[in-house]
Amino acid sequence: MSIQAGSGPPVGDLGRVEGGSTVLRVMVGGQLRRFREAAQVTPDEAAYAIRASRSKISRMENGRVGFKTRDVGDLLTLYRVNDRTRAEVMALAQRASVPGWWAQYSDIVADWFEAYLGMEAAASLIRSFEGQFVHGLFQTEAYARAVTMLGYRAAPAEEIDRRVSMRMKRQEQVGRPGAPHVWSVLDEAVLRRPVGGPEAMRAQLDRLIEAARLPDVTIQVVPFGRGGHAAGGGSFTVLRFAEPDVPDVVYIEQLTSALYLEKRDDVEHYLEVMNVLGAQALSPAATERLIRQIIRET
Amino acid sequence: MTSEGVPRSGERDGDAGWGDDAPAPGDSHPAFDTSIAHQARIYDYLLGGKDNFAADRKAGDAMIAAYPTMVGLARANRVFLGRAVRYLTADAGIRQFLDIGTGIPTAGNTHQVAQEIAPETRVVYVDYDPVVLSQARALLTSSEQGATDYIDADARNTEAILEKAARTLDFSQPVAVMLVMILHAIGDSDDPYGIATRVMAAVPAGSYLTISHPAADIEPEKVANVTGSLNELSYQKYTTRTHSQVMRFFDGLDLVDPGLVQVQQWRPGIERNQTAAVWAGVGHKPRD
Repeated sequence: MSIQAGSGPPVGDLGRVEGGSTVLRVMVGGQLRRFREAAQVTPDEAAYAIRASRSKISRMENGRVGFKTRDVGDLLTLYRVNDRTRAEVMALAQRASVPGWWAQYSDIVADWFEAYLGMEAAASLIRSFEGQFVHGLFQTEAYARAVTMLGYRAAPAEEIDRRVSMRMKRQEQVGRPGAPHVWSVLDEAVLRRPVGGPEAMRAQLDRLIEAARLPDVTIQVVPFGRGGHAAGGGSFTVLRFAEPDVPDVVYIEQLTSALYLEKRDDVEHYLEVMNVLGAQALSPAATERLIRQIIRET
Repeated sequence: MTSEGVPRSGERDGDAGWGDDAPAPGDSHPAFDTSIAHQARIYDYLLGGKDNFAADRKAGDAMIAAYPTMVGLARANRVFLGRAVRYLTADAGIRQFLDIGTGIPTAGNTHQVAQEIAPETRVVYVDYDPVVLSQARALLTSSEQGATDYIDADARNTEAILEKAARTLDFSQPVAVMLVMILHAIGDSDDPYGIATRVMAAVPAGSYLTISHPAADIEPEKVANVTGSLNELSYQKYTTRTHSQVMRFFDGLDLVDPGLVQVQQWRPGIERNQTAAVWAGVGHKPRD
């Protein structure tokens, strides 16, 4: 079941969001550590080069502090990274210091979900399998409202409104120049479950057809007729980043928290399942025909 | 053809994968198995991509151990593809491509290079691996003016390729056929020359054939070591060929300057000119 990212009711502890993206800081920090180790520079030597303490280097490498551009530049010089990699890391560090679009919603974003939003905003390719709900990036307002109410039955109307408005704001990332490519594979059950009622669902299905026509969006359905499929039950998302040194991350949402898998063996297992799902599913064109057929039937 | 009771419209769509039409009978497909190395994923690894698995990296590392400039060679081949497509689009005026052996999408794919020059260019990608094909279909999206299609077929099954390609390509107009780093996966017993002959017979005069092919006669000992270790580790089996054997693929065609040369010497840009054991060339189909 996929909730905030994928799409279901956003549940979870309320969290606090600092300026800038934690996730990007962690990525930049991880790169700094790899380059330092490759250059066989000790933390003390690195600290000396940027007039800082050894613990500052450690905090930087763990993504626990923001970066000064000058410090990152000096370290990359010390580590003798090539110009292309340098430009990539500097650009990532720059982005890490810009507050995310969700900053204005910090009161309703859980920490564990904030990390996902940071990665979603930084990704070049987002691949997801959805078993229950339409992906959050493609939900209509009515569908998003119905999904949100599932998770917040007791919440005041204003909070529901803000959560829905945040999801709509999040969708502004899709389809604009430089946007990540979103490749969403859905179980047919997602199309058949009338979240928000039949009318809202028909509008949602229209919206899916519309979204699939965007150049950076691919939507495929795994039809019931396929029998069992590789995903088993669960929804999951694989995030890929354009930077060659930044590995893929698998995001799996749970009811009150999320799993972020980064270890190569784990990631590859999910990547393989995702690959098989993409090949098992109907092609985008056949998917559109199936969605149209379901609209007619309901 | 229908699938799950979904009526099939007449539109031209990529219908690769199990979702639409079934692969042609007799075609072999690599199983969904990442425990054995696979050519497309090894190539992805050599090019620094992220769509490779442990077995692919092991095979790639074995290649690099036997041939230390293997990464440079893979890149040189990729750069050659870009240069050939640019030549065919910008200089030769070609607006239709049939790219057999698509591989995993990376930067500078055929339709991207061509459509940057001529957005109306139509490109058909062919691969026999449903996973590779589904990635190509999802990620290699056409310009609005042009078109891309994706065909699930084995390179040996030229009849199916030509029939399905005709949905997107107009075979009364010149077509650039791309057989880039694919023919070495076709053993001599599977009639590799017949593939080139049959496809080129189906396209009109003024069409082109682009080939790059691992060489048996450049640094032959190192190359033999690469092939030996790959054939133990990879799903596909590889056959390297000599200059004259690769020349045979161009029978009946006129080779465009500079002829069949080492891959990095084909209309080179500014890149370094180290030895690369791959033959590459572009042939032009003359009028009778």
